[in-house]
Amino acid sequence: MAPKSSAGKEKLLGDEDEVLQAVILADSFNKRFRPLTTRKPRCLLPICNAPLLDWTFESLALAGVQEIFVICRSHAEQVKSTIAESRWSKPGSGIKIMPIMTAKETFSPGDAMRDIYTRGLVTGDFVLVMGDLVSNVKINEVVKAHKERRKTNKDAIMTMVVKESGSRHRTRPTGNSSVFVIDSETSECLHYEPVMGYPPTKVAGIPREILAEHPEVEIRNDLIDCSIDICSVEVPSLFQDNFDYLDIRRDFVHGVLTSDLLMKNIYCYVAKEGYAARVQDTKSYQSISKDILSRWTFPLVPDNNHPAGDVYEHRRGNKYIAKDGSVVLARTSRIGNNCLIGPSTQVSEDVQITSSVIGRNCVIGSGSIIDNSYIFDGTIIGAGCVVEHSIVGAGVEIRENSRVGKGCLVGDGVVIGPEAVLERFEKLSKKRETGDDGEQEDEEEDVDSEEEEIEANQEDSIKAQLGSDCNAIVWPREAPDEDEDEEGVENYKNQRFLRLGLAFSTPSTSFFFCATGDDASDLEFTDEGSLSSDEDSDSSDEDSDSDANFTTLPTSSATSLTLENSTIVAASDAVAESEFRAEVEQSLERAFAEGHSVDNAAVELKTLRMASNVPLSRVRESVVSAIVEKIQIVEGGGVPQRQEIAKVINRWGPLIDKIGGVDAVETVSILQTHCATSERLPLFAQILVALYQADIVEEVDMRRWHALPSSKGAGEEPGPRRDGMKKCWDVGAALLEQLSQQESDSDEDSEGDDDDGDDDEEEEDEEEELRRGPRRIEQLSIIK
Amino acid sequence: MASDPQMLANQRIVEDLASRLRRRQVVGSRQAALETLLVLRQVVSRARFSNVDQLVDVIRSVGRRLVDAQPKGRAHSFLYEYADFNHGSFITGTSEHSVGNTVRKVLHHIREEYHTATEGSTPAPAPTFSIAKFVSQGQPRKQQTVQKNDAAKVPLKENDPDDPDSFARTLKPVLMEAIQDVFDELETVYDNISKNAKDHIHSDEIILTLGKSKTVESFLKAAAHHRNYTVIVAETAPSFVFSSFHDHGLTRHFTRYGGREMAKSLSSAGISTFLVPDSSIYALMSRVNKVILGAHAILANGGMFATSGALLAATAARAYSTPVVVCAGQFKLTPLWNLYHEYGALDFGDPSSVLGFEEGDLVDKVDVVNPYYDYVQPELLDAFITNYGDHPPSSIYRLLKETYDDEDNEL
Repeated sequence: MAPKSSAGKEKLLGDEDEVLQAVILADSFNKRFRPLTTRKPRCLLPICNAPLLDWTFESLALAGVQEIFVICRSHAEQVKSTIAESRWSKPGSGIKIMPIMTAKETFSPGDAMRDIYTRGLVTGDFVLVMGDLVSNVKINEVVKAHKERRKTNKDAIMTMVVKESGSRHRTRPTGNSSVFVIDSETSECLHYEPVMGYPPTKVAGIPREILAEHPEVEIRNDLIDCSIDICSVEVPSLFQDNFDYLDIRRDFVHGVLTSDLLMKNIYCYVAKEGYAARVQDTKSYQSISKDILSRWTFPLVPDNNHPAGDVYEHRRGNKYIAKDGSVVLARTSRIGNNCLIGPSTQVSEDVQITSSVIGRNCVIGSGSIIDNSYIFDGTIIGAGCVVEHSIVGAGVEIRENSRVGKGCLVGDGVVIGPEAVLERFEKLSKKRETGDDGEQEDEEEDVDSEEEEIEANQEDSIKAQLGSDCNAIVWPREAPDEDEDEEGVENYKNQRFLRLGLAFSTPSTSFFFCATGDDASDLEFTDEGSLSSDEDSDSSDEDSDSDANFTTLPTSSATSLTLENSTIVAASDAVAESEFRAEVEQSLERAFAEGHSVDNAAVELKTLRMASNVPLSRVRESVVSAIVEKIQIVEGGGVPQRQEIAKVINRWGPLIDKIGGVDAVETVSILQTHCATSERLPLFAQILVALYQADIVEEVDMRRWHALPSSKGAGEEPGPRRDGMKKCWDVGAALLEQLSQQESDSDEDSEGDDDDGDDDEEEEDEEEELRRGPRRIEQLSIIK
Repeated sequence: MASDPQMLANQRIVEDLASRLRRRQVVGSRQAALETLLVLRQVVSRARFSNVDQLVDVIRSVGRRLVDAQPKGRAHSFLYEYADFNHGSFITGTSEHSVGNTVRKVLHHIREEYHTATEGSTPAPAPTFSIAKFVSQGQPRKQQTVQKNDAAKVPLKENDPDDPDSFARTLKPVLMEAIQDVFDELETVYDNISKNAKDHIHSDEIILTLGKSKTVESFLKAAAHHRNYTVIVAETAPSFVFSSFHDHGLTRHFTRYGGREMAKSLSSAGISTFLVPDSSIYALMSRVNKVILGAHAILANGGMFATSGALLAATAARAYSTPVVVCAGQFKLTPLWNLYHEYGALDFGDPSSVLGFEEGDLVDKVDVVNPYYDYVQPELLDAFITNYGDHPPSSIYRLLKETYDDEDNEL
């Protein structure tokens, strides 16, 4: 039969295709969801009533992935058994899933990648995702594009999938986003800069070479990094080679792109269609829940393809109610838009639920209000409770008339109330039972030690607030001191941008929101009137103050805070830099003395730069100053001095351009600043001319330098340095004038009458001019 | 009954199709029907049974699994505390109804073959009045005249304890042929529908159609061989078209603005075509002679689900008393009712075609709905043109009764 045979053929063709492999890093490597994640890994936290990992599997299945390795670290056994029991391991799922347990010492994605390498898991191009991905992007098409690119360019090792979003988008993390510099034509990623909310990243540096080499670049900060990477086999081995790579973006991508030695390319795929985002913090947990409920992830929506296999009915207004007939909704209950209610849940009378997700087997007591909250399975909420903008774990009991403020995280099994009041951003977890400690401690030592500590620090006053039946411990709201030194995104203050309960959009607006929110909570405190809560309100006042400060006045307090830090950093930097400078001087001295070739000297400088990790401009500074200092001052000046300068510049000048980037404007500026304070100030003009003659600096560059405000000495403290700068600038002005005179002369020579040499217009002329230049300039009378 | 490895193999192909349906990798009702048929054929060819009920059970269970894969096709009951209405079981949301329809159709054919085989000795009852033949000169089904005599020759032994497979062995070839018939019917559905196109479209008429429907497209093109007429195509922004390209099973090609594609295709076939925005449908309606629509599913009451915008066009046509004609294959006949969702089919796509995801401010503040289908009531429709003849909405129930067996209405 014809159709059958064609189907068979299709299958054959499918077999010939390489199996598409994916690696899921099922560990978060951070603690943003604590205390929800003390007893189970983040990838098993439910979002819209299905574990995150199932969403990830489904996202990958949608993209045609056939083989998945799940790298688990914390609670690995739990992940493994969950996978074994899930529908994915049943026949007919069409996907092979293999859990891989890594050592407890795997502390970063980088370590996990090294583990992948040592185990030799992947055989070809693979998809690397995190265990908290929700996506409907057609990854298989990205893979196709990636493979196509690999055919022509072996160095294209990775393709990152990014999703376009506006600058103010709920799903774009404000505390942890990034700047991508992309070649608009080839969509090659040229540069990557991480952006943080605190300390606020205000400047993103882009190497000049990028702008020089690529005619058109896009610099974008409006992309959601989906953490879907199509990687070639080389990627794990690169991690192996560079043992200090920890984060895939901040270290690996940044490292590969800035490295002069690796010569690898990374590409971006800007997904125009489809949705992809990561649940990387409580804030994105909320926004992705909302995205799922408003169907951006279609066909991955609760009523169509719910990863946990539950069946939901979709009603007008994006309300999803479990369809097996087990949900009980009281007639007077009000379910607002964008809600999901799991099977066997009971909603009593006069309950109001808006934009929330309620798990399975929950009971919501009469008259409760649940707003923008996420309630996991089996939780009981008593009558008259208010839960706002919070995540409530599984099996929690919130007794009647309690209030859970914005941004709270309530761990599994907690009992609070009756009449408990949780402040904003409170974190609760269940007190450990002493019985089962023995087992757990082996497994989760680090976790437990922290928990113990917190437990030991519990105050009785808090206890009183949480109601008589409470079994919870309260996590400290400020990070413990030793964590203060945690750098980067895990910094406590930056974390504030990443948590639930803030208004979406930009930091500044979110903090306005914060401030007003706090006002409201102040009012509530006055209602309470008790001593303990007064104390607390004070502390939260301070809290709000600091919040308000670093938004409304980003310049004053925020910068003062950063300054403290930056002085320390600067101090340590200064030490490193002076070391570097000394090394460069030595190396150059050696080069000068032993007469190395320029190329060899350049290689040596490059290695030095790598070793001490300094920006290119520092190297340039050192080189220029070393060269200038090399020039001997000839008494009486005149021709011998000029010859001396020409000799040095001709011999060593080319080195300036070989240190890793050409930037003549900077060279002149550096020369100026160096000469301004050096005894070789009188030689500035001659050196500049020599550089010009050696083709290291061109007239255009000089003009540009001349136009810079800093060249005039703007922003300098008045003093000898400024005077020197000014002098140099004047000299430059005179030089340029002479040059343009010459030009107009020559123009007149060649073409009779012409407007004065507009160098930008006629490049032809300019080049000619340059060739003729040297001879003419020699005839110039040099000022001073 | 069937041994384990067979069950497993069955399960695998069924699960595979089920998950592809769920992931919307199989789209378009005809495509879904074809895929279902392929699965059923494999299931039947592998199945071991010693009487017809066992076979029917196997097929039904497969059908149930496939229909469940699209949660909306399934009858549901939902308990509202103190609910005062009777929750009927024939609620329909939509995804691909054609899956269930195909299963029903195959079951119908199997029973028919079984009856002719067992009662072959008695003279086959002369086909009673069939609505398909009554209204038009639609073809009588082939197999009724042909195979009866050979099948009657082999006596069927059901539940034979000595040779439990004998029943299956004798019946299977006939069954495979029956499935092949359904297959052929699907293959030729467009041709059969457009066969009478010239009787519906007259010269110098102005026809309005909506979006892209393969059926309507071939219908209009067939009419263009005989008539010279004008088509106005509404672009149906931003609804999808399910182009049924096939690349390694990952069929998820949505093209937006199906009307644009339709207009392009029609004008390239030499038909004078206008592409208009949806908003001008009402304004143009006074000049339109006939509205021709495609359907996603035809319901038992004679109403239909069709691409969103169809209700707009049908209502506008009613205001001007312009006839509305629906072209649809018989596999779209669905023995279900639309009880609750008065105007919508409750199958909503993602909002990205209405509002770009990059509009961060709006995404947070606006709830966007993007329904796939409109429900068009039977009162707004005038005729259905199917490959089983032309029918008014009021006789669809009869056509359904002839096409499917009553006991299969709920799989």
